[in-house]
Amino acid sequence: MKRNVAIISVGYNGRFVSKRPDINIPELIQPAVDNAIGKTKLKHDQIDAYVVGNMHTFEGINQPHLWASDHFGGSKKPVMRIATGGSTGASVYQAAYYHVASGLYDVVMAIGWEKHDEGDAQVGLMGILLPEAFSMFNFGPDMSEDRGIAGLGGGGSTGGAAFQAMSYLTKAHAGIEHIDRVAAMMRSNAAKNPYAHLQQPGCTEADIAKTPIISYPLRYGHTCPTSCGAIAMILVSEEKAKKFGITDRVAWVKGLGSGASDATTGNIIEGQITDPAEQYMCKVVSKKVYSMAGIKDPRKDIQVAEVYSGFSHQDLMWPERLGLVDEGKSPQMLDNGSFAIDGELPLNPSGGVTSTNAIGASAMVRVGEAALQVMGLAEGGHQVQRKIENVVAHGWGGLFQFVTVTVLGRTPVKK
Amino acid sequence: MPGHIVRATVPITFAYKNRVGHALEQYINGLKEKKILGVKCPACKKVYVPPRTVCSKCHKPIDQMVEVGQEGVLKNFTTAHVNIVNGEITGVQQPYIIGLIKLPGASSLISGIIKTPSVHDVKTGMKVKAVWKETTQGDYNDLAYFEPA
Repeated sequence: MKRNVAIISVGYNGRFVSKRPDINIPELIQPAVDNAIGKTKLKHDQIDAYVVGNMHTFEGINQPHLWASDHFGGSKKPVMRIATGGSTGASVYQAAYYHVASGLYDVVMAIGWEKHDEGDAQVGLMGILLPEAFSMFNFGPDMSEDRGIAGLGGGGSTGGAAFQAMSYLTKAHAGIEHIDRVAAMMRSNAAKNPYAHLQQPGCTEADIAKTPIISYPLRYGHTCPTSCGAIAMILVSEEKAKKFGITDRVAWVKGLGSGASDATTGNIIEGQITDPAEQYMCKVVSKKVYSMAGIKDPRKDIQVAEVYSGFSHQDLMWPERLGLVDEGKSPQMLDNGSFAIDGELPLNPSGGVTSTNAIGASAMVRVGEAALQVMGLAEGGHQVQRKIENVVAHGWGGLFQFVTVTVLGRTPVKK
Repeated sequence: MPGHIVRATVPITFAYKNRVGHALEQYINGLKEKKILGVKCPACKKVYVPPRTVCSKCHKPIDQMVEVGQEGVLKNFTTAHVNIVNGEITGVQQPYIIGLIKLPGASSLISGIIKTPSVHDVKTGMKVKAVWKETTQGDYNDLAYFEPA
């Protein structure tokens, strides 16, 4: 019988930035851990187990947990490391949840990080894209002289995402200006989040439109940065939350799930090239998660969304795939202000992944930001002011085809 | 069909620049001045050499640098017969000793090359002392090797 689990604390190492040449990986993680613990009455010793993760290949350190365990307090404790690409942080969080929900542990810390300045993220991504390239051999693209790689991965992952963006725009009868507009909104939201990387107060559609095209319809201003940063969260059982006397300022985990479609940019399902903007698994998983959370109508019962968008067109696509907006209606929602922090469905009040992307942390930052919104503790003016009952957080990764969804709420699901 | 195996070459070179971090930076700068630095935990008094930023026993940030002695005891060693050069295993002209040394004032062991007239002269428990490069430049190799004291 699974137990109710609450997130009681969310800690960051500080503002996420592009380069931290002064410190190494454990030194990046440690302040986030101390920050999360410092917000509670807990001591390091009271953490029963750790689940941690970052992106594989990006820093060239394949087992960073071996090195960092001592620094985050994992010495002589159970430590599990998870890497699922962009969704790593959410997978780490989900595993931490299982640790507690199963009854095996009462207090578990989840940590996600990336120190992007130590390796070449695009080279790292190409290493991840190669299985996709080899998979695409079966479907005929010419790979000689790097051409196939350029088509799929030109400009790193932007090349792959361009197909998805094009498909989305076509179906939604929207234009590149909508991507510019949503990108600008994220950068100005980020300016209200003291931990965000690219903070551009009052960023406009015109500011974004000035940036060069990488792979049409995606331009530089539509892509996420590479950030250095770490996030730590503490998850506890319902009993412990009561014991610590903190049940009024916690975020309850009400539902969660994950799913994978076939590799190749989500292009292929059951051996057929399909539509990379379909994101079928996101629809399947979110339905399952809402039912687990006791949510009948997500449009009514969910007040805020934190979605994982490595590219700005996805800020329009995901709310639809998550069942929060009718298919093809996101551009309209954007234009009428519904996605603004004071709108009907605030979308990424944090500024999202296109403003801040320490990749192994990013999907957990979505969950952490959802938790902060539920707790009412989002800092620097990005706290949503209207009453929040439930927030959905979404992660995206693997080979563009792995999705995680969770719903956090003010009250636990009744047993 | 034998002789017709098709392979794809992956045109990627991985390059990483891993930061040594705040504590190791001070250690390496210390080597330039022919000093071996550690960091002392104010709570448990443990001295980590080379230094780090947190005590794994007490979970406390630590930054109090202390200099440790340069003449210590060889606690463990191995004899290296091969090197790895650009991912390829290559033989060495002469086997050499890599030791783990306990320096006075340190709670941990550090590793270093041990030079003795013959590799057969090396015994666990023997006293060894640090030998420095004549010109140091802020590099791990500044501490050239350890020799019998």
